[in-house]
Amino acid sequence: MFPRSTEATTAFEVARVERGRLARPNGWWGMAVFVATEATLFGTLIGTYFFLRFDTAEWPPPGVPEPKLTLPLVLTGILVATSIPVQLAVRAASRGRLGSARAALLLAAVVQAGYLGMQLHLFVHDVHEFPPSGSAYSSIYFTMLGAHHLHVFLGMLLILWILLRTATGLTSYRMNGLRATAFYWHFINVLALCVVGSQLSPLA
Amino acid sequence: MATTVTEPGLERVRRLETIWAEPRGVLGWLTTTDHKRIGLLYFFTTLVFFGAGGVEALLMRTQLSQPNEKVLSPETYDQLMTMHGVTMIFLFVIPMTIGAFGNYLVPLMIGARDMAFPRMNALSYWLFLFSGLFIYIGLFMHAAPNAGWFNYVPLALKPFNPGRNIDFYALGLIFNGVSSTAAAINFIVTTFKLRAPGMSMNRMPLFIFAMLAVSLSLIFALPSLTTDLVFLELQRNAGFHFFDVAHGGSPLLWQHLFWLFGHPEVYIIILPAMGIATSIIPTFAKRKMIAFPLVALAELLVAFIGFGVWAHHMFATGLPTIQLVFFSAASMMVVIPSAIQIYAWTITVNLGRPDFRAPLMFIGGFIAFFVLGGLSGIMFAAIPFDQATTDTYFVVAHFHFIIFGAAVFPILGGMYYWFPKVTGRMYHEGLAKTSFWVAFVGTALTFFPMHMLGLLGMTRRVYTYPDGMGWGAYNLSETVGAFILTAGLLTIAANLAYSRFRGPPAGPDPFGGGTLEWSTTSPPPHYNFPVIPVVRSAYPNWDPADREADRGRLRRGELVYDEGHETPAATVVDAVPDEVLEMPSESPWPLVLSVCTAGLFVMLLVRHYVVAGVFALLVLLVLAAWHWKEPQDQ
Repeated sequence: MFPRSTEATTAFEVARVERGRLARPNGWWGMAVFVATEATLFGTLIGTYFFLRFDTAEWPPPGVPEPKLTLPLVLTGILVATSIPVQLAVRAASRGRLGSARAALLLAAVVQAGYLGMQLHLFVHDVHEFPPSGSAYSSIYFTMLGAHHLHVFLGMLLILWILLRTATGLTSYRMNGLRATAFYWHFINVLALCVVGSQLSPLA
Repeated sequence: MATTVTEPGLERVRRLETIWAEPRGVLGWLTTTDHKRIGLLYFFTTLVFFGAGGVEALLMRTQLSQPNEKVLSPETYDQLMTMHGVTMIFLFVIPMTIGAFGNYLVPLMIGARDMAFPRMNALSYWLFLFSGLFIYIGLFMHAAPNAGWFNYVPLALKPFNPGRNIDFYALGLIFNGVSSTAAAINFIVTTFKLRAPGMSMNRMPLFIFAMLAVSLSLIFALPSLTTDLVFLELQRNAGFHFFDVAHGGSPLLWQHLFWLFGHPEVYIIILPAMGIATSIIPTFAKRKMIAFPLVALAELLVAFIGFGVWAHHMFATGLPTIQLVFFSAASMMVVIPSAIQIYAWTITVNLGRPDFRAPLMFIGGFIAFFVLGGLSGIMFAAIPFDQATTDTYFVVAHFHFIIFGAAVFPILGGMYYWFPKVTGRMYHEGLAKTSFWVAFVGTALTFFPMHMLGLLGMTRRVYTYPDGMGWGAYNLSETVGAFILTAGLLTIAANLAYSRFRGPPAGPDPFGGGTLEWSTTSPPPHYNFPVIPVVRSAYPNWDPADREADRGRLRRGELVYDEGHETPAATVVDAVPDEVLEMPSESPWPLVLSVCTAGLFVMLLVRHYVVAGVFALLVLLVLAAWHWKEPQDQ
């Protein structure tokens, strides 16, 4: 009568199950709620940033350089652009085209790895320039940025995991995993905009 | 009445028994994914923590029974006071209501065979257990958290608190928060997706609405605490600055983030109690709850308003007047959904034919304490009154009426109410009524005099007080009350323990309850229902024709799902069946993952960061192993 989650074990059958769905699967909802709590976590970080800022006469404090504008914006743009291949992968997989889906995921993962490498390099450089032990400004700056890098890293692990699992074909279970991962990835990219926007706000 | 099974049905039930069977003995409990077993694990674990928190309270009450008493040193008193608060909130009430009652009852009430994520459910339990043990290790090392459950800075910062005490608190509560978040996600998805065919949102039992409101609150409240605790650890152990003015930080930041979590937390504590009340009242009043949609809305509204009132804990910290006024108004607003519920409960009892058995008596006690504690709560919403009484025993009186009288009495009533369902046996009614009166008198005697002490000027959080203040008699009566209350609680424990083995058989539905848990056998089988019920009202067990139709379906083999470890999933609003899920059966991974996580937190505590990294890697590897086997491989 209804599709069974065990039924679809080929890309073709997965596409059939996906067409017949009335509601989103449990895995998608689990991720949606998780994203809600993660968004709140970053909300408190950004809230703290402005709470401390509004209590401080000079922000950033004397001796700390103003945040750089161009490089963070370019990097964020590149990161946000990876949402496109990730979404294309979901689309392709849900229509049974596993090969294109995996290629798109691989492209996204490579760009993300480059982004993360670049960001970590910048992070280490900045920590030497104005260490977090210097002021409340640098404390929240690095905590917020570090938290976001950690999330990018986890999102990347998820995408690599899906790539690994779909090497032996597509199942409904993996399709759900892919949808949830894509959701998480888009969310991280929205977060990137919020985090960078907050950190560049002293320039405005 | 559920499993009067005929021949073709019997064959199907036997098949279900085989498919859903779990390993026997200890191994079965360590690897279980059955929400009822996990609920029982939560129940007994939280009872142990309740006992510990109770002993801490009795020790403090003994110390305070007379002026200049010397039973406890100031250091020990601080640790016991902090541990009492942390234990009762994080290790007793929340895991008891959400973990034990929620786990056991939510799938049964919505006609599902398990939670949406059964292994994550087991994970929540094991993480909770280890986080509780983690915090308690501190007590046995005489380095327990000692800055109050609210843990204000700068007292909690390194210069004033150089030991590991606060690190046990911060890391332990982050650890605990992981467990609560996982549980909340599970409850929300279960409620959204696994409801029986026909149980559209407007037919969800009110208990489910309450649990949904609680889970949503946890999802949006806990991150604030986590952030705060991470800041605290970074400042204490990594030289960051968030809370010290000298480097541009602010001690008020701690309080804002803490109470942004802490006040929703209060409603997280009280909402399940409201849910239990809305389960017990219709059964014993023998009629449906009046104003059902309003009560459902009020439950969600309490949770929602709870996020806009946190600064009323900070009226004396010198916030700008405009903020004080906003939070004062918001705090008074909570009266509206609370009053809707109080009227709905009492009017339902009045309009019905109430049968005052023990569970309903506990709900009566709950309403009495809730009204009294609520009235003093409104008084605190008035800024001048709050500023005059803040940090006095008046506050202690208020919140104990709420989080003991109002939150715990329904838990006690709920223990009696669902005892026959869980064990298949009846408790002793006479002894249960006696236990109610003893606990009621004990609670009133313990906490009511605190109002007077507060108005006389006795401050909270002090380990002793001088002679000649006129506080001795009140304090002594509170201590006597605490021991009477303990006697009442022990009576309940004795009643339930004895009845578990010697009580008369209860049958599936001893009270004539209206929700689905009463339509299956007592205790319910591993698969909960031999046939997935089809629902057409909010009190499906009061629709005999529908339950008869279920039995017909069992004969014909419809909605039985006896081909695997299966339960149907449905659309979110209308509960139209959409797919059949192959649910995971017993698994060792939740326990293994929790052990690795515990290792990670212990290493963070002792600051072996390399080993902590190894444990983090292990966590990832265990997660990979956990997800390797997919439903189609089972």
